[in-house]
Amino acid sequence: MANRPTCKTKDGRKERKRKIYHAAFRFGLRSKRRKIQPVKMVKAVVGEESQLKLIEDRLSQSGLPVQLGLVVGKLSSPLDRGFVFDLVPTPPNDAGEAACSLLESVKDDKEKGTKSRSQAAEVSSLFIDDDWVAEHARQVARMLVGGVGVVGIYIWVSSDAFKNSTIMLYQTIKGVAEATPVLETDREERLLIHICYSPMRWTCRNCTWTSNITSSSLRPCDFKMGRVLTSLQTFKCTYNFNLSLPICHESASNVQTLRDVLRQGISHHAKELKDAKAIIDGNLVVGDEPCTLDGVHEVELLLPFMKDSNAEACSRKDALGVLVFNGSVCSFAYLNSKEPISQAVSDIKMDIIMSLQSRLDIICDEAYGDVGPKDDASPEASDGISTNKPVSQLVLHFLRKECSLSFPRRVFVPWLAGTYICDYLQPSETLEVLKDHCVELMSMEGPTDASTILKPEIEAPSLVTKSFWDVAAPFYSASSFPFGDDMEEGRDLDNSQSSVKLSNKLVFIG
Amino acid sequence: MIGAVTDLNNTREVQFFRTRSENSRSLELVTSVVYDEHPEKHIWETGCLLRCELPIRLPVYFPAKNWPDAEKMYLRATEAVVAKFKDPQVVYVVETLSKASTGVPQPVILRGIELDFDTALSNIKLLGKDAHDSDPKFLSCAHFCLKSKSDRPILSAENADIIQLSVLLNSSEKSEKSSSPVAEYIPALEEAGLLAVNFKLGVLCYAAKEIPVMYAVSKLIIPGLVDQLNSMKNVILPNLLTKHPQLCPYHFNPPGVLHPITVIYELNYGETEMKQVDIRKSLHLRLGLPSDRPLLRIANALDFSTTNDSARNDTIRKGSTLLKDVHVGIPISGVPGGIVSLIQGSYEYYHYLQDSFNDSGWGCAYRSLQTIISWFRLQHYSSIDVPSHREIQQALVEIGDKDASFIGSREWIGAIELSFVLDKLLGVSCRVINVTSGAELPEKCRELALHFENQGTPIMIGGGVLAYTLLGVDYNEASGDCAFLILDPHYTGNEDLKKIVNGGWCGWKKSVDSKGRSFFLHDKFYNLLLPQRPNMV
Repeated sequence: MANRPTCKTKDGRKERKRKIYHAAFRFGLRSKRRKIQPVKMVKAVVGEESQLKLIEDRLSQSGLPVQLGLVVGKLSSPLDRGFVFDLVPTPPNDAGEAACSLLESVKDDKEKGTKSRSQAAEVSSLFIDDDWVAEHARQVARMLVGGVGVVGIYIWVSSDAFKNSTIMLYQTIKGVAEATPVLETDREERLLIHICYSPMRWTCRNCTWTSNITSSSLRPCDFKMGRVLTSLQTFKCTYNFNLSLPICHESASNVQTLRDVLRQGISHHAKELKDAKAIIDGNLVVGDEPCTLDGVHEVELLLPFMKDSNAEACSRKDALGVLVFNGSVCSFAYLNSKEPISQAVSDIKMDIIMSLQSRLDIICDEAYGDVGPKDDASPEASDGISTNKPVSQLVLHFLRKECSLSFPRRVFVPWLAGTYICDYLQPSETLEVLKDHCVELMSMEGPTDASTILKPEIEAPSLVTKSFWDVAAPFYSASSFPFGDDMEEGRDLDNSQSSVKLSNKLVFIG
Repeated sequence: MIGAVTDLNNTREVQFFRTRSENSRSLELVTSVVYDEHPEKHIWETGCLLRCELPIRLPVYFPAKNWPDAEKMYLRATEAVVAKFKDPQVVYVVETLSKASTGVPQPVILRGIELDFDTALSNIKLLGKDAHDSDPKFLSCAHFCLKSKSDRPILSAENADIIQLSVLLNSSEKSEKSSSPVAEYIPALEEAGLLAVNFKLGVLCYAAKEIPVMYAVSKLIIPGLVDQLNSMKNVILPNLLTKHPQLCPYHFNPPGVLHPITVIYELNYGETEMKQVDIRKSLHLRLGLPSDRPLLRIANALDFSTTNDSARNDTIRKGSTLLKDVHVGIPISGVPGGIVSLIQGSYEYYHYLQDSFNDSGWGCAYRSLQTIISWFRLQHYSSIDVPSHREIQQALVEIGDKDASFIGSREWIGAIELSFVLDKLLGVSCRVINVTSGAELPEKCRELALHFENQGTPIMIGGGVLAYTLLGVDYNEASGDCAFLILDPHYTGNEDLKKIVNGGWCGWKKSVDSKGRSFFLHDKFYNLLLPQRPNMV
């Protein structure tokens, strides 16, 4: 990517697009599932008829010889099914080149009669900008909520060209998968949808890559059109969290930037969240029954009571400071009506973690872009800290001053059939930015009416100056809790090591 | 509160008094007292157990240069926990703890905001048996108790209805405004230390089934958790920065005590270390428990695991299906007017050919020893595995009683060898009774009956002939008529209780049977090995 011609754009988002990071950042959720869940392959795929017909019409009228883009939908392990909600074409890259083009051969006319395999390959094959497609996938994935993901790629091309380019398409899919890891399952599986124009035909292949590229790694599966989006169930959750991440002396050997600490904190929290119980519409989720009721379902997540997993097992450490990471994440997840309700819970959890992760990525992407010109430095960086580094790059161990990093707020934009996608807005950004993203990345018309955009999160408050002791002991603030009457004063325990206590008995005598 | 007074000089009648409320200073005489023959029936039919396990981990930051402040921060942290129990965001999940998979009531959520901490216990409205309300606030404890009692004939704490409570924090509580995340770093301006303090809380409460479960939480569980937290807090406090005690609560239901008790042990000490032994001794004393029965060891703790194949089940762990207590339910001895004295406690029946090991013809004493050791294991005097023949031989070689060639041989062992092995492996001492003829054995019945009453251990009978295990005697002191409860290790069949009992492999043997034959041979000598119950707790 480094040698790609770049053009600095006004909103910084295009800048962001050029960077590809190691998207295969793995959370604990991934490895744990591996042992439990046998890998089941998707056997049948249903596409949303209303949307895909529209796309089909648009494609056949376009006269384009080739178009490549992303498949947005859901792969359901328990149902062995895939659902396709939408197809999103990958936009031209920064140099204005299409992500995918046909290479025409000079021998085209002469050899047409023989049609040997190798020559056919020369006749028409695809050129795909893999990195660009993967980057598009990464950014689209950020805009999707729980239960919806980039599940593969589609290609609109003649069947000859398709046949000649399967290996290349396979590579592209792999790149897309690496850019948008599905954390919740270990499914190394994506869809490849081929829309052939003469005759007009949709075919779907199931793509896996456990071994080397062989013919068996691209397996055809059933594809049909149907109603998918209208039967989706909507789940909503506002997740409030408050993490205290201690910064200790002993880890000074491997110095960590603020970004590293946050990344680690998020991945650590993901494990904790994985085991959280959930209440849906006031009822504890116990079984795996499907959800039958309509409407938006409220999800509440229950976490362990005062079990700070960030404070490691009893050992005295020298604390240099504490990183308080708190706020709320508004989350949505969509569930197919046949899926078990527990899936909605794990989709919501995944959405929360991905949302935190995406916001951190956005901050860091922008910070990378800003390293060069000083005047472009993020507002936080100029906030009294005498360094050119963006805040996310600060090494906390050496920092003797307070600093803060506000995460962008999440907003939800109406998408297809009453569903929403999301986007993130930095404090300086306006809804115009959001419109650009919708058009450019999701190939949709931007929202015309600002009132349809959900803005459940308010901007993070600016730094409230507190002392270390106030923050280190956040729940000790005596004012908020009425200590006193019911507090039992240090009941003495004889002998120190053990005590006998009769079980609390309630005895009623009449 | 209830108090009782008795006059030792006069009537010896016990009088009960009560106070109505905590602050009341007046005592009222209780006029009607019911003495129930089976109080446990009443207790477990009208009440249930509430169980709550709660691990807590607290980070405690403290100024490195100021130790007293560390204690202050620690105390404040625990105070914050106490306050947090009543936080509106706390959610209590109430569910039935049951081994059954069907017919179990659905778990119910109680939110901290709904709990009532102010109503006095005596003012709580009890719910009748037929109170049905979908509002979790008005569900009674009985709602979570299983209806069918038929499969649980024994009423005890282990078989009681148990309601499990989990304390969780709702992180989706609605607030007017949720603001997007922010990370703030605040450096410590002075040197600071960080300590993670762990509390492993586990309380067990007894509640009448008629009380609403929300009051069971606010009036029993939460005060129980607070009490235990405070107890642990005080133990940890003196050595806050130096020691890291591993305090862990265990629940016991010792014989003679109707309700379970909770003991907090420090797991950094081994169970057999003097410090722990002394603690157990003092607990036995305070609870009036016998000082030679290990009743408060961790192995005795109530096991609430819902899986049937818990690790405590020895037979399953070993993959075999040894029979336990085969003498229970066998036909009576038929000694007219006899008094039966039996071993106290469980044992496993070891006999020929078990574990696919062919010891037929020579292994009977080894098997008898295995049965005896299993008794010590099951009474929690020892946790060693029951030794194999080879391990028994090994032990005898190690103490110098036998040559190395003994290991792997098929040589017999006798009562004396058994006493060596019991001493070596368990530290158990034995008394030996010798008789020169089987005809003398009935004379020893009185002594044997005393052994079973005081020691209660299985006896090994060895000597010139076959080895047996003796589990009890039935003795009529006046007539001298007697019978011996013999467990015969020579059985070669499978673990079929019916076959064992019908074949007489476990049964009462009269010294002279109806056909005039003597069970104990008159021309042979016998050695009786009486293992002594260790005087330990």
